Amino acid sequence: MSKKLVSAIADMREEEALKLVRKMTAEGTSPVAILDAAREAMGVIGERCEKGTYFLPELIMAGEMLTQITEVIRPELAKLPEIKRHGKVLIGTVKGDIHDIGKNIVSFMLDVNGFDVRDLGVDVAPQKFVEAIRDFHPQVIGLSGFLTLAFDAMKETIEAIKGADLRDGLKIMIGGGQITEQIKEYSGADAYGRDAMAGVSLARKWVGK
Amino acid sequence: MSSLKIIGEKINGTRPRVAQAIGQRDVAVIRDLAVKQAEAGAAWLDVNAGTRSSAEPYDLVWLIETIQPVVEIPLCLDSANPLAMAAGLRVVERTPMINSISGEARRLEGILPLVAEHGCSVIALAMDGTGIPETCEGRLEVARKLVTETRASGVPDDRVYLDPLAMTLAANTKSAQVALDTIREMRREFPEAHLSMGLSNISFGLPARSHINRAFLILALAAGLDTAILDPLDREIMAALVAAELVLGQDRHCLNYTRAYRAGLFARSDAMATRA
Repeated sequence: MSKKLVSAIADMREEEALKLVRKMTAEGTSPVAILDAAREAMGVIGERCEKGTYFLPELIMAGEMLTQITEVIRPELAKLPEIKRHGKVLIGTVKGDIHDIGKNIVSFMLDVNGFDVRDLGVDVAPQKFVEAIRDFHPQVIGLSGFLTLAFDAMKETIEAIKGADLRDGLKIMIGGGQITEQIKEYSGADAYGRDAMAGVSLARKWVGK
Repeated sequence: MSSLKIIGEKINGTRPRVAQAIGQRDVAVIRDLAVKQAEAGAAWLDVNAGTRSSAEPYDLVWLIETIQPVVEIPLCLDSANPLAMAAGLRVVERTPMINSISGEARRLEGILPLVAEHGCSVIALAMDGTGIPETCEGRLEVARKLVTETRASGVPDDRVYLDPLAMTLAANTKSAQVALDTIREMRREFPEAHLSMGLSNISFGLPARSHINRAFLILALAAGLDTAILDPLDREIMAALVAAELVLGQDRHCLNYTRAYRAGLFARSDAMATRA
């Protein structure tokens, strides 16, 4: 049944996917297996975007399906013993920018791939990142931004982190539609990711998983 | 020449080809884009120096000085950076349009005084420090605040180009409807002001974008848009524009349309229609 769930999600058959999740949950399928199927489906969706057969609307719809699926299995998830997490990632859209579609997908993918994620939302001031680092102690920071003015905000955020003496031992990745190697250099980040899976791979590499 | 006033969008440093030309100080590439857009009927040329923000004032000045000897139309200086804008205004020869102010304090305080001082026209985006309002009413409220500010600075309404903001349909399929409603309301409430919009954002993240852009342009014209930031070298959008203005009764004796036909604007679509 989990194969069916993967294709239902990947093919954007929302109602069928949710029906399957409810059925699987009722029949005692572990929520972890359901999340695994969701992750596999996201991989397929990502490949289709790469190939140019899926576009932004499919990504957004996938995000909505993931939220709904998580809602359905939440009670079961809560019963599980605390899963051992690989590491902590602090993520947010930088100051002056309010785009959150990509960031939300990256958050979800990090979460289902075993990271403890704290998402600060959008238009996050540098000082807020600094405070959250002190409080949450992440190993990885994800800065998101789509507007060109986000490039400066990313640079400012990373400078604020340096200024607070928190940069050492911290890995910073950036992402967003227009991010390039040049912007990575400009902002002072350690790496940039083209898509959500690239973000997961970077985080994995950095925490040694 | 269409009744819609066109701001040619191509000289934008966020486009890789233009960014490269700016980086290499490639005069020929920039001048070619300028001349071709002017010939295609642009009323202004948008000039955006792009993303190397510490270099932006120098890049913008270089662009202006490169473009203005080869075209007669004014420029539309496109920057959120008051330093770059002030630098650009020192070298620009014909009074430019300024792109843009919004309800964000930094933009209002940094850019509006320059608009007033230099007698420019200005694009005013219907968004503020808290973001882009989702509803038509929310955007109108921002527009009211902006017009209060421009009037207080002595900028007459007919130099203000209100932008209702086109957001991608990929994220919200009602977004074009909100923009169109906002155009109609703005037209009613600020009859002296102009209405302008960057069109192509409407189709961001979708395939075969030109179809969406054309449909949106035509509906926006019907709603009252009088200015648009677009690519005047896109023959299909220009052909759709000329045809739509004729249909809307804005083309006396169909003269623009038949002129465009004689100039070959419809040549490609004609050939395609014959084949089909």
